[in-house]
Amino acid sequence: MIARASRTLRAVVTFLMALGCIAALPGAASATVYAQIEGTGSTWSELIVQQWIADVDANGMKVVYTGGGSTKGRKDFAQGSTDFAISEIPYQGVDEQGQADTSNGRDFAYLPIVAGGTAFTYQLKIGNELVRNLRLSGETIAKIFTDKITNWNDPAITKDNNGRKFPSLPIKPVVRSDGSGTTAQFTTWMDHEYPSIWRPYFGQSGLTSYYPKHGGLMISQAGSDQVMNTIKGYAGNGTIGYVEYSYPVNADYPVVKVLNKAGYFVEPTQYNTAVALTKAKINQDKNSQMYLTQILDGVYTNPDPRAYPISSYSYMIIPTGKDDPRMTTAKRQTLADFLYYSLCSGQTKAGPYGYSPLPLNLVQAGFDQIAKLKKADSAVDLTDRDVRSCNNPTFDGKNLNHNVLADIAPQPAACDKIGEGPCGTATGTSTDGGGEGDGTTGGSGTTGTTGGTGGTGGTGGTADGGTGSAPGAIDPATGAVVGGDPGTTTSGDAIYASPTELVAERTGDKSAFGWLAVLELLALILLPGFFVIALRRRRPSGHGGRP
Amino acid sequence: MKRALALVAGFLALALPAAALASPAPPATNSGTAPARYAAVPHIAAKKSDGFSDTKTLTRQFVNTDGSTYSFPSHTVTVSADKTKDLRGRQRILISWKGAQPSGGRASNPYGENGLNQEYPVVIVQCRGTDDSSLPLKQRVRPETCWTGSIAQRSQVARADGEASWIHDLDATPAEKERVSGMDPFPTAACPNADVPPYFTKLTPFVSAKGKTFAACDVNNMPPEAAVGAAFPPAEVAAFTDLDGTGSVQFEVRSDVENESLGCNHDTPCTIEVIPIAGLSCDQPSSPMSISDKACRKGGRFPAGSSNFANDGVDQAVSPSLWWSPSNWKNRFSIPITFGLPPDTCDVLDPRAPTGFYGSELLAQAALQWAPAYCLNKQRFKFQFNNMSDEAGWNLMEAGGGVAAEVSSEHEQRGANPVGYAPTAVTGFSIGYQIDKPDNAGELTDLKLNGRLLAKLLTQSYLGSDLGRGHPGIGDNPLGIMNDPEFIELNPGLTQISQEAGATVLSLSNSSDVIEQLTEYIAQDKDAMDFINGKADPWGMKVNPSFKGISVPRPDWPLLDTYVPETDSDCRKKNPAVYFNQIAAPVTTLRKIAEALLDAWPNVQTRCDYDPASGLYKLGRIDRQGYGTRFMLGIVSLGDAARYGLRSAELETKPGVYVGPTTKSLAAAVALSKQTKQYSPFVLDQADVRKSATAYPGTMVVYTAARLQNLDQEDADKVAQFIRISTSEGQKPGSGNGQLPDGFLPIEKTGVTAKLYDAAQESADAIEAQEEPPSDGGDGTGGDDGGVGGTGGGIGPGGGVTAPGVPGNGEPPAGDGASPSATPSNVTTAVQMPATSPVSSSLAGGLLPLLLLLGAIGCLVTLALKVAGPAVRRRR
Repeated sequence: MIARASRTLRAVVTFLMALGCIAALPGAASATVYAQIEGTGSTWSELIVQQWIADVDANGMKVVYTGGGSTKGRKDFAQGSTDFAISEIPYQGVDEQGQADTSNGRDFAYLPIVAGGTAFTYQLKIGNELVRNLRLSGETIAKIFTDKITNWNDPAITKDNNGRKFPSLPIKPVVRSDGSGTTAQFTTWMDHEYPSIWRPYFGQSGLTSYYPKHGGLMISQAGSDQVMNTIKGYAGNGTIGYVEYSYPVNADYPVVKVLNKAGYFVEPTQYNTAVALTKAKINQDKNSQMYLTQILDGVYTNPDPRAYPISSYSYMIIPTGKDDPRMTTAKRQTLADFLYYSLCSGQTKAGPYGYSPLPLNLVQAGFDQIAKLKKADSAVDLTDRDVRSCNNPTFDGKNLNHNVLADIAPQPAACDKIGEGPCGTATGTSTDGGGEGDGTTGGSGTTGTTGGTGGTGGTGGTADGGTGSAPGAIDPATGAVVGGDPGTTTSGDAIYASPTELVAERTGDKSAFGWLAVLELLALILLPGFFVIALRRRRPSGHGGRP
Repeated sequence: MKRALALVAGFLALALPAAALASPAPPATNSGTAPARYAAVPHIAAKKSDGFSDTKTLTRQFVNTDGSTYSFPSHTVTVSADKTKDLRGRQRILISWKGAQPSGGRASNPYGENGLNQEYPVVIVQCRGTDDSSLPLKQRVRPETCWTGSIAQRSQVARADGEASWIHDLDATPAEKERVSGMDPFPTAACPNADVPPYFTKLTPFVSAKGKTFAACDVNNMPPEAAVGAAFPPAEVAAFTDLDGTGSVQFEVRSDVENESLGCNHDTPCTIEVIPIAGLSCDQPSSPMSISDKACRKGGRFPAGSSNFANDGVDQAVSPSLWWSPSNWKNRFSIPITFGLPPDTCDVLDPRAPTGFYGSELLAQAALQWAPAYCLNKQRFKFQFNNMSDEAGWNLMEAGGGVAAEVSSEHEQRGANPVGYAPTAVTGFSIGYQIDKPDNAGELTDLKLNGRLLAKLLTQSYLGSDLGRGHPGIGDNPLGIMNDPEFIELNPGLTQISQEAGATVLSLSNSSDVIEQLTEYIAQDKDAMDFINGKADPWGMKVNPSFKGISVPRPDWPLLDTYVPETDSDCRKKNPAVYFNQIAAPVTTLRKIAEALLDAWPNVQTRCDYDPASGLYKLGRIDRQGYGTRFMLGIVSLGDAARYGLRSAELETKPGVYVGPTTKSLAAAVALSKQTKQYSPFVLDQADVRKSATAYPGTMVVYTAARLQNLDQEDADKVAQFIRISTSEGQKPGSGNGQLPDGFLPIEKTGVTAKLYDAAQESADAIEAQEEPPSDGGDGTGGDDGGVGGTGGGIGPGGGVTAPGVPGNGEPPAGDGASPSATPSNVTTAVQMPATSPVSSSLAGGLLPLLLLLGAIGCLVTLALKVAGPAVRRRR
């Protein structure tokens, strides 16, 4: 009796537990309610934003981002037709055409989402070979984009490249035709660093989102994609344009190494961008509408030899009003959690995509801005969403102002110094981790020594050769051609000298051995049987007794 | 003796098929093959159990001045829907009807407020609530719970009496016939512009799921999702009924994730209201008839079947604007729909760092569904997929930046470590299209293309417009593919009005395995290659000289043209761009192409106009194409095509045979593919495809590629786990977490995909083991050893099988045991030969199990003969 009672009890308990499991399961997952949010704006940061959007789909968040340029982003936000905008520059109050550039009364906050370098990508051919290691000073760049330098054989370019002369070929600058934050960043830099070149061309001072054109060979294109297409096209020989570094990285196209204040020509890698931005002045006045916006003067003149001068942050504009007509609790929650992911884990992939992760202090400040969403709506859940829970190896949890990347950023190679080199290494290739360091050393070895190692690689098996080619992404052939001297070319080849090819199988062998194997197998299997049969046949005579 | 031989032969006959089954696969659990679930063309109107169908008779009536009633001829309308249960947000369901009044004045875009200027359309809206008058008001469907993206679609604000036909609706209550109506009390304060005598206003407020009422009188009184220029185009539509009374539309439903105010989810029932507009029924007019009486009695100004692309005004009484008016509303077909439970999702606070896999976008749709199956399971690592070009993903993997790459073909190994490829998904690409048949006859549902037509598109050999006529050497070529006699012959009956978008197929700007395979397909087409190499097609069309002789296959498609047209246009003079490149304007992701097709918005960047805002002449993207005149082609992934309901062209294989992407044609292509050596990708030779009448040329296998050596063991375990999970539960078709979405062919342990399954497991083991010798560079001796290994394996006469004898098992490092006899004579040079790899022969490998079986049978037979033979003989 007792036994049965306990059995019943056990059954009931089991059942209840099972029920509990079922009840608990969806509860855990659907604690937060999300609703779709929409945004427009910058194409500068679009490539990584789209990846973040794909990532948070697994969390049940639906985010739609359609690019269109920073100006469109700010405009759409002001008109209340989007839930967020992404822009390289803040609202300007009045734009360069004298039109209003404000949020139209909509309450908002800025927060940085990713860092990056505005890269100059180009197509310049010597014969049929693409130059992949062009170096330019800021002044030369400014003069190119203001029609002052119009040919690739210009002495200024020759000087930047330490005496290497490029063929006579008209320079065709490619600029953006739409209202673009990339244009704004670029012109801010020119206005600040080279006002005597920029202002007469622009006809006024300051930045512009619409690049001014005065005839000439300048081509304007809508969106970063189209700028890249124009430069990559066959007709693109002689072109140079400005886009976020991720575009040439994706297209496997070279970028200009830009001269920094320390006298080194550097690429906008995640490291060099991070180093440069350590000197960005961020508006720290929490009561200011411009809180967290950037003043990049110090970045342009950062004396660190690794700093890439035209580095900047990209900003998201979020609605913070209590009565914002577009916002609901679910939408604010989605925005908060999308940003939480982007600022934390999302930063880890900045490097591979051609961006640079934010330093932790800016992530922290970003969280302060996210908190405004909760201030507008107390139902927004921000529990545990802070920097300590960020899955980001580049963050230093102890010193928030510290950018780990800037520490480990490799120093530029000696051949990248003004008056040296140029290095033979290719630019604009996807780099990660130590690849950068290897690249510079590998590249600086221009003569036989490197070739020698490659040679050893030939006999030593793939492992040795591999060290020589560890920069991986570097294309020796094109990198070497720029030098125009045959010595470099051979050394380039030597680095990649492949070990003697030993063929593991030849097709002829394969089928022959196959048939041989079949025959042998057949024999192995059937012979015993035949043997037995043969034995049986012999047996009558052997035994003799049976008829 | 004879008897014994006969017996052996008998067994042989029995054993053959069995062995044939067993040989390529490991012990197969016969689970049966999955039904052909995935079909590329989503137009399967098959009536499923969860479909809907209903028939109603609709009659428009007028009460005459004398009180008598006049009835128009009735329409007996049948409405059906293909799927109504367990829907997901943004899923499209096919709604079709017959017997309706033919429409007139077709709009170029029937969605949202763009569709209002049409006559006798069928209005389709999504509404919250159930159509059951016994329910409390809150749960009932009414015009107030129906979603529209604009005010004009629901409210009539301050109309003159010529546009106030609703006040004479025969079925309206007296209150609804007032000068201002729709809300009681009328929100005069919130809507100051609505109550303006002598004008008429009728509000149809919107009531949100949370019970909030939006008066819908101006933009400040609309729910937040109804913003102008919202990211998603409106779903509600005023659809066109063709002259035969039929029509159909793919209606996109929205869940509460996409539209929180509407609020449809798994426990809030909703309906789709289908309202064929038959014209308002009108009450007894005053005498003489007032202007509004006359307005109610209007019958339309556009003939049936006509178009109204100029968006001219229409007769209100037969327009979709008044769908909420009682005599229209009562004609509704109410299709109840239910939404599925939302899938469990990852917690944003999950402390585990994600492990990134990088590469092919072909996997994107599957990865979206797979990711939650990892984060929700504590036994697994946190999987994350990052789209980038195959090559970039590969480089990251080799350099150690990513644990594994997702690629679709063999990539050059640049680093020192060997790489193993594990088949992870079978999918591919297609040429997606969005083409309307002429004269409002609906969308084209079957398109055929061949290698030469694709070559013409890719080589920029169509002129686009008259601007292209000046191009040297090809001035006589057709403007677009729609004007090309070859295309017309293949796809007769389409419009021949040229558009710039018809001169291109939207493609990728970066390198991709998709482009590699597409160009390989072209390379195997003799006509296409002749064309590329300069031979004019039979109609005299020539290749663009800039592309003449371009080498294919290639992973990236360059923009080789240099022609800048000379025109008088100021704008183009100021923006001297390469015209054909502006037409092609390739983009960075397949997703962008899919979206461009979905919106029928070509990425053609030839628009050149003056921007007053900046005072500059600018180049930009052309406008979206109008409904009825859409014509666009683009390269899409099969996953995206299935997800967004895009149509895919059939591609020519054998001459005259056209194959589209279906489960069957993907499987047929897999059957043709071969693996040359262990851990390497399978190769689908397009030459084989061209001999096959069933294989789809765009079939591609996505591989997870990871280093076989020097990968961190923890990462190696994750990659191995990923491969094993994605080739087992990840291949179960469905829309749930961890399942395989449409657009993919499941990899199974049996059937044609078995070899992929086996290869995946082998690679997973090798990646996990991290000790595989490089499979490259084995020398001759190594080859011999492998062969000998095959024979040398001890197979006892008794039929006992010892594993090491099987070729390709891969365990014994052949370098070590290669030749003990060969004394190390050249010790001085520390020459390290690359380790050899065992050589497997598929022939021997395939026959081995058969032979083993034969051997076993032989032994059994002899045994049986030995035992039974004497007995039989004794009986004799």
